[in-house]
Amino acid sequence: MRKILDIAKKELSSYFRTPIAYIVLIVAAIVFNMFFFIIVDNSQEASLRDVFKVMEFLFVFIVPILTMKVFAEEKATGTMEFLMTTPTTNNQIVLGKYLGSLAFFGLMVAPTGVYYLILEIFSSPDRATILTGYLGILIEGAFFISVGIMCSSWSKNQIVSAILSYSILFMLYFSLSFIKYFSGIAEQIIRYTNIMSHSENFLVGLITVSDLIYFISGILFCLVITRVSIDKRI
Amino acid sequence: MILADNITKYFGAFKAVDSVSFEIGRGEIVGFLGRNGAGKTTLMRMLTGYLPTSEGKVIIDGKDMSKNPLSIKRNIGYLPENPPLYSNMTVKDYLKFAARLKDITPKQILACVDRVIEECRLEDSRGKIISTLSKGYKQRVGIAQAIINEPEIIILDEPTSGLDPVQISHIRDLIGTLEHKRTVIVSTHILSEIEQIAKRVMIIKDGRIVKDDSLENILCSDNRKDIFIKVAGKEELIEKAIRQADGFKQINIDIVQDDVYLVQAENKNNILNYNDLLQKLVDNGAKVLEIKQKKGSLEEEFLRINRLKL
Repeated sequence: MRKILDIAKKELSSYFRTPIAYIVLIVAAIVFNMFFFIIVDNSQEASLRDVFKVMEFLFVFIVPILTMKVFAEEKATGTMEFLMTTPTTNNQIVLGKYLGSLAFFGLMVAPTGVYYLILEIFSSPDRATILTGYLGILIEGAFFISVGIMCSSWSKNQIVSAILSYSILFMLYFSLSFIKYFSGIAEQIIRYTNIMSHSENFLVGLITVSDLIYFISGILFCLVITRVSIDKRI
Repeated sequence: MILADNITKYFGAFKAVDSVSFEIGRGEIVGFLGRNGAGKTTLMRMLTGYLPTSEGKVIIDGKDMSKNPLSIKRNIGYLPENPPLYSNMTVKDYLKFAARLKDITPKQILACVDRVIEECRLEDSRGKIISTLSKGYKQRVGIAQAIINEPEIIILDEPTSGLDPVQISHIRDLIGTLEHKRTVIVSTHILSEIEQIAKRVMIIKDGRIVKDDSLENILCSDNRKDIFIKVAGKEELIEKAIRQADGFKQINIDIVQDDVYLVQAENKNNILNYNDLLQKLVDNGAKVLEIKQKKGSLEEEFLRINRLKL
């Protein structure tokens, strides 16, 4: 466990050694704040449901930028060879990197806790819905990150890994827009694999086993594929 | 200590390393020589456990790399061809990270970092960001991470590539200090460097080891038993003496000054015996001023094996 945390710590600190992390954090904070005030002002609702929808939409675009370097950079600079010739297992490497990216994602979401405090001060929000909304956002983000890390393990080129992440996330996020062109089992598959079909329940205060299985199995699947591609030195 | 048992590596249909076997004992310094693409790096990567073998086994201290990778890797320090550095980290932070990954206990980490910083002469760079360092310093940081856990086996892939002569000399000295204490495998294109560092040389060609011998034997191999004799006397009598001498054949004769000649002769026998040659020269009224055996160079042997002309 110590090594997983060492790698996670190094991964998290590596974000802050480039301007990208600061830009992402600032842009995310500005956009979230802007939408929070617009949504609350227009709807007059003491709810964060629409803010969460904006957040998940933005994460589809932000996460591939965050994760594109995770393995691609290590491969391009040769540090992957260093990691893999130390007495560290490939599972520790994958989990450490995943946790590091997840921690950065947490830092991006954490400031939005202020929105809840604002609602709590000026109104009586539905605490349970906000809590499940945050759980939904975090588990969805964790899934996005696992997809991004998996794609990063497939290429030495960060741009290629970002494009692969965008392709998969767009497919999973926007697939319902094309559902009318499909029928039968294809339609069912698209409905089940669509992210929004599973994130919506969290936003309205529901935690279902089916949604949890979808995200957790998705995360595990991506991490296992990442591990396999590291094993195969792809 | 290190046993490569018939190891082979395929990349798709391409055989990068072909049925290589050797044994390296504790404390040996071994040089891997080969042209680009000969298979040196692939071989080193299999020895470090970075690449699995397609066939055969890598056994370190009696343990099979495929079955005990972690315990074996604890005893190996590896510097890949391009130093594996996190360019945005400081030297100290990078070495601390390397120490943690190499199972050094938290209490010992700082002491180990200080030790390698001193050994690799990185004192004035410890707080610097790695990307700001010169190539030579980056190479030193790479070596520092390889030796931070005092591994028994150190594998260095082109440790001096791109360095200036002073930096090369320092890294050579550093490797020299490891002799007898550690088993070191070094690969390089710089043949003169191997001559100065290694005691044993393996020449690799097309994924196979085509020569594995001590440096001394390679330099004194049979095909380089030419001798040079500086001799005073009459040219025709000198030539006659060499013709009469058992086992020698004259190759060339140059005049150095009046009645002084430099003769190059080839020794046709396996055992060098100058007595008969000297006797014949004396019998023919010549005076031997100097006699020396031509010393072969690793470069000649390397080029001969790779069928290139000097």
